Amino acid sequence: MKISVEDVRYIAKLAKLSITFEQAQKMVGEFEGILTHFESIDRLDLGDLRVELQDLNTGTVLRKDEISVFKDKEKLFLNAKSMRDSYIRVPKIIE
Amino acid sequence: MNIHEMTALEIRRGITEKQFSAIDVVRAFFEKIYEKEPLVDGFLTLCREEALAKARQIDEKIKAGEPVGKLAGVPVAIKDNICTDGIRTTCASRMLQDFIPPYDATVVKKLKEADAIIIGKTNMDEFAMGSSTENSAFKKTKNPWDRKRVPGGSSGGSAAVVSAGMAALALGSDTGGSIRQPAAFCGVVGLKPTYGLVSRFGLIAFGSSLDQIGPQTNNIKDSALALEAIQGEDKRDSTSVRHPVTEDYMSTIEKGVKGMKIGVPAEFFDFGLDEEIAFSIKACMQKFKEMGAVAEDISLPITKEGLSAYYIISSAEASSNLGRFDGLRYGYRTENFNGFNQLTEKSRSEGFGEEVKRRIMLGTFVLSSGYYDAYYNRAQKLRARIREQFIKAFESYDILLSPASPVLPFKIGEKAGNPLEMYLSDIYTVNINLAGLPALSMPCGISRDGLPVGLQIIGPHYGEEKILKAAYALEQELRLTAMRPTL
Repeated sequence: MKISVEDVRYIAKLAKLSITFEQAQKMVGEFEGILTHFESIDRLDLGDLRVELQDLNTGTVLRKDEISVFKDKEKLFLNAKSMRDSYIRVPKIIE
Repeated sequence: MNIHEMTALEIRRGITEKQFSAIDVVRAFFEKIYEKEPLVDGFLTLCREEALAKARQIDEKIKAGEPVGKLAGVPVAIKDNICTDGIRTTCASRMLQDFIPPYDATVVKKLKEADAIIIGKTNMDEFAMGSSTENSAFKKTKNPWDRKRVPGGSSGGSAAVVSAGMAALALGSDTGGSIRQPAAFCGVVGLKPTYGLVSRFGLIAFGSSLDQIGPQTNNIKDSALALEAIQGEDKRDSTSVRHPVTEDYMSTIEKGVKGMKIGVPAEFFDFGLDEEIAFSIKACMQKFKEMGAVAEDISLPITKEGLSAYYIISSAEASSNLGRFDGLRYGYRTENFNGFNQLTEKSRSEGFGEEVKRRIMLGTFVLSSGYYDAYYNRAQKLRARIREQFIKAFESYDILLSPASPVLPFKIGEKAGNPLEMYLSDIYTVNINLAGLPALSMPCGISRDGLPVGLQIIGPHYGEEKILKAAYALEQELRLTAMRPTL
């Protein structure tokens, strides 16, 4: 399959990744090779095959909608970059 | 015998029979780690103090005559994408280089309950994406059999530290072969259980419908023992098994293979399979026949195309799973940015490595408007067909045999510049994940250059007992699992 530098840059944008023009150029060749390999599936007649995503034995699992308190909040917030009281402080995201 | 050369079973026996203490075990293994780790680079984090504290607890229990768990005193290494409470868990990524989980993965909790001793976290391909452990953001692990070669991946650190005698047992994760292929490359035993048999709670997700945690060990019985300890239903994983399963593999493991029906798919001997590997697998087929099993050639037509379906589905799931890393709440955050979009884009672009970005983009592409049906939907249909094909094969056969990898351990850097070539080395393992089947990789030969050759034994869903029985019988014939690399 043929793809262009613009295609690669568009996909990067959708994926929330920024890539340079040079990186995009390199990826064009790689992606063409990989996507051409993917086309091997087209040789098969898959018709109306039903798609089962899960082991039939497990089915849909639901749990009760109940609040439970995470006991060690200090540990939980250890990975946040910045805190104010019990809130995680994040950079301004609404412009 | 030196403690670090003992099997998990021997260590447990030694401790319970008071031949040595759990503290002795930890000290012996750390001595080995300080000696070998600079040569192997298998660990990302070592937990000596925590290990000694746990060892003290076990020794006190034994002193007080209290019962101990089935992995009492066994030093275990954990792949660094499995969460460990209070111990850094990085996924070998810059994105999570400072991440300290506030909880244990269910498998870690179960190991602790079984009185295993966690000694460290192991290196891996970033976010488990790779087949050589070269995609780690932090270091390149060396194959203990030949340090110029890769240990396989993505659980390459785990396989290497077990192979080098730095841990008696390790946990890895397997999305498309990441437990089995490094086990084959490092001459150890790697077991990917049936999808759902082992809880994925606390495993940092790559391809959620494919991921499964499993043990890497120096022999088959240790693999069975470890599986007993970590498997079972978990309410925190909605895909974990909800019907009764075998809980005891050890009592049947020595029963032999007489009358067992074994299929050997002809298609698995294609795709540029190394001649020496083909020879070793055929020799195993013969061994099984000599032991009273019925081994026959069979056909599994859809094998090659499975690789495409695997890379489409796993990349699609990865692009969705890794969407959570946005630089906001936790994980890497870029220093300079202007607005939310730039914050996210820059954090992700600086925090993720090249292969991770490639997979996210491939996944985004196959899920994008106009391509979804052509790629993702067809891949899902093919997945269903592959699953049917295997289920049908297991109506006639107890287990299937195949190579674990088409190639012997390759040189560091040899395939790094060609992603497609790297993907092709997963040809024999990915279909098993697509079908959700269990499979084990074990050493079955040594190449002319002194490199281990891996055999893959595939079983029906929840057929781990059959796999382990066959693997144990073969292990007793070949006597290869006791072989260790000279470092």
